[in-house]
Amino acid sequence: MTAAALPRRGDRTLPRPLESAIEFLRLLSKRPSGLIGFIGILFFLTLAFVAPLFVPNQESGDVTQLYETPSLQHLLGTDNAGRDVLNQIVQGGKEIMSVALITAFLTTLVATVLGSISALIGGRFDAALVAIADILLTVPPLIVLIVISALARPTNFLALALVLSLLGWAGLMRQVRAQVLTLKERDYVEAARSLDLGLIHIVFREILPNMRSYIVIHFVLAMTGAIYAQVALIILGLVPFSGKNWALMLYFAQTQGAFYFKDAFWFVFSPILAIILLQLSLVLFVNALEDIFNPRLRSS
Amino acid sequence: MTPILSVRDLSIDYRTRRGPVHAVRDVSFDIAKGETVAIIGESGSGKTTLAVSLIRLSPRSAKIVKGRILYTNDRETVDIRTLPDDELRQYRWSECAMVFQAALNSFNPVINIWEQFADTARAHGLKDSKKIHARAQELLDLVHLDPKRVLTAYPHELSGGMKQRVLIALSLMLEPQLIILDEPTTALDILTQRSIIDLLGTLRKRLGFSMIFISHDLSIAAELADRMITMYAGTVVERASVTDLFYRPRHPYSVGLLRAVPRVSGAMGAVASIPGSPPDLIRLPPGCTYAPRCPLAIPACSEREPDLLPVDMPDHDARCILWKTVAEQVGNAEVAVAEKIATA
Amino acid sequence: MAATTPADTKLVAQRFPTTPRASRARHILGYWRHPIAQALLKAFLTVFVTTTITFFLIRLMPGNPIDIKIDELTKDGAMSYDEARAQAASLFSIDLDKPVFEQYLSFVGNLAHGNIGYSFISQGTPVMAIVLAVLPWTLFSVGTGLLLSFSIGVFLGLFAAYNRNTKIDHILSLGGSIISAVPNYFIALLIVIVLGVELRWVPITQMRGATSPGMQPGFTLAFVGDVLFHAALPISVFFLATLGHWILGMKSATINALEEDYVNAARARGLSDGRIMTAYVGRNAVLPLVTQLAITAGLAIGGSILIEQYFVYQGVGLRLQAAVTQRDYPVMQGILLMVTLSVVIANLAADLLYSKLDPRIGRAGGATGT
Repeated sequence: MTAAALPRRGDRTLPRPLESAIEFLRLLSKRPSGLIGFIGILFFLTLAFVAPLFVPNQESGDVTQLYETPSLQHLLGTDNAGRDVLNQIVQGGKEIMSVALITAFLTTLVATVLGSISALIGGRFDAALVAIADILLTVPPLIVLIVISALARPTNFLALALVLSLLGWAGLMRQVRAQVLTLKERDYVEAARSLDLGLIHIVFREILPNMRSYIVIHFVLAMTGAIYAQVALIILGLVPFSGKNWALMLYFAQTQGAFYFKDAFWFVFSPILAIILLQLSLVLFVNALEDIFNPRLRSS
Repeated sequence: MTPILSVRDLSIDYRTRRGPVHAVRDVSFDIAKGETVAIIGESGSGKTTLAVSLIRLSPRSAKIVKGRILYTNDRETVDIRTLPDDELRQYRWSECAMVFQAALNSFNPVINIWEQFADTARAHGLKDSKKIHARAQELLDLVHLDPKRVLTAYPHELSGGMKQRVLIALSLMLEPQLIILDEPTTALDILTQRSIIDLLGTLRKRLGFSMIFISHDLSIAAELADRMITMYAGTVVERASVTDLFYRPRHPYSVGLLRAVPRVSGAMGAVASIPGSPPDLIRLPPGCTYAPRCPLAIPACSEREPDLLPVDMPDHDARCILWKTVAEQVGNAEVAVAEKIATA
Repeated sequence: MAATTPADTKLVAQRFPTTPRASRARHILGYWRHPIAQALLKAFLTVFVTTTITFFLIRLMPGNPIDIKIDELTKDGAMSYDEARAQAASLFSIDLDKPVFEQYLSFVGNLAHGNIGYSFISQGTPVMAIVLAVLPWTLFSVGTGLLLSFSIGVFLGLFAAYNRNTKIDHILSLGGSIISAVPNYFIALLIVIVLGVELRWVPITQMRGATSPGMQPGFTLAFVGDVLFHAALPISVFFLATLGHWILGMKSATINALEEDYVNAARARGLSDGRIMTAYVGRNAVLPLVTQLAITAGLAIGGSILIEQYFVYQGVGLRLQAAVTQRDYPVMQGILLMVTLSVVIANLAADLLYSKLDPRIGRAGGATGT
């Protein structure tokens, strides 16, 4: 096999991160569903964090226009107090996205660290941690979350994220651990160890870069899990949030019996659609990621 | 006598992003009834691609661009390339059985050995379980395995050597004329290799089938083969009887291969690997593909790829315009080349 | 790495001498390795840890339910503190005077007798009875939905993998992705508001409840038909919610299986494509999916808390929701325990099924030489 010529400094026209970003986009564009998902994610990030900066929050509504059907004035109709639904949709994504991002970050961090350390240390510590992870995986997650939330009402979104993170790390932790166990046997790790380079160094320099794909994929999946769980908890009324939130819209809709009210259809359907489209974007994107990172599944 | 297998100008390309890979180029050879031919070459020489094409089991990205594969049995001669699907399925295993590299993963892990025998038999129209069972026992006895133990076992319960024997037994089930073995001993330890080679030799004498085996190991060729074909960069570079090739090679690559085999007995000889690496099969250099690594290369070698030229021995061809020079260097003595080079 | 042993050499490895006692000890320890023993232990541990954690959660959390109950009972002087304390304690089946650890032990002891407390709300009704009245309905709908989605999903996934990159593959894969993205409770909610209220295609009011009022339970056709009628919506939701996962999972597993050497070797032996698809590719590809059956069931049961609410289906989810609204902590705890127990049992069953399907697990296994 002829050795590929290494690019010299002078050959590079773009900085490395930008190069890999362009390469990533190129790979993504080969998978239309993944590209759609990616665009969807960008759209929702903008909608959730940027749009509210420009669209003012409507606190009160026009009481003469309760549960109006969609019109030019109110593109998605109004709710039980005459408030514009579209406005609520624009305002309502921030909390959900924040919780999802924080939870995903926490679970990924915890899982990666615990998984690597557990695999590297081994012995009883490892066995204990694996047992804990197994138990967490077996227990039906939503029910546990419900019980915990009922006992310790999370009042802000950070607390909610913490609660959600309690369970979510088990799956990735086992994957990370399995990967680290195989990588542990590889030569370059042996070399690093024999050079006595220390546990942290080994984890962060030698092993983690090989797990980038797992971690990114898990991060996105953790977001979908967090969205699933928090929406359920909010709809159940277990999370006494105030303010605008897609899931809260559904909570109010339920307590007002709006589900069975034909005119209220768009008030109920809009947040559902928003959440589904957000989940869909994440899922399509992560499927494309799995395809990109797994050469075997690549359709040639 | 018509050869049972006659390959003519076979060329196979793989489709890849960078362009077609010319994995097999203009390969021609014959196999006579009862003959054993060894196809020797390094990895990437195209020998496995060639072998799988003989039963049309190439991957989807491979395409036979030209050539003919003519198979003859008592009744007729067919071109394997044009065989319809159901006849192809019949041809596979009952006429020509191919035993793959790494028998370790040739068996379905979730069904037992008996089922795999039965599947094979039933796929070829044998439905009587009792008869199949009797035949399976007979075959396992032939390869010195205990049928009672093996038939009820699952593949993971057998060792590598046992699995290889089972595969050999299975391959004889329908009494094929031709058995192709791809690296039959590579994944096995040296003692098991010995027993498999002995087994193959015995079976061949008893049952008279023809064999092609693919290997990079010259010693197995020396033991079992009647004739040898060396392949390099997808094409045949030398065709000869085994003794001819070992004692009187006429292509620099064959000489290089022989020189690279360390000797177990006697003085430490000059063991040398062939410098350089095989060419890129997408963009082949013009002329002889071995020229870049060949110690005898002259400018004329890089102009045009030579044809297989007959040399000074009968039934012996080499793809080298300087075969006479090779002949001079190697001589005609009854001493194996490896020995000769060592003592030189 | 090739696992080989000297095949038919006459060399016999030197065997280490063992005393009778050592060999007996080794024999008993050998049982430890047995996967069934390990699985049972893991199951037991899971339930055990869950109950322990729930106990300490309820007991030790700030604003713990026992104190809340005491507050409730002593409100407006309706009851003295001691009386309230006693009542709260008896409802939770714990003795507040004993040290925490002893309370824990008696809690576990009660558990062994099937006593998991008494409902706060319906005074005196044992939680176990409450849960057992509703749990079977949920298990029935989840189980049926999951079984249907597994069988159909696996078949579709296999089909998609075999027809890779064709239109039907793209439809199945995209469709699978889409339905797996929708949260299961939303599928239920959408059925209610779109098919039920907006379009009126589904008679949701009639389909409420686990059975029609006045139906006599029994193995009559009428009763079974009625049960199925009422369970049809929850079953459909669980079916749709999990179908995508099986389609995509089986497609991926089949693609991997198709690249295995033994598939090629089987073709070389002249086996028909049909036989290879079922016994060689299919049976191997489905194995990793079987391990996911129980986890998928656990996730599905989680969604039942909302799904059963929307369909007013009297299963464990609906009861949990009621318990949450009413702050009936013993019932919440009891449901968590029983559901965990169910999932653990399902896990064991799935593990057992897996060991039957994959001969490499649970047998003495491994190369035995010559």
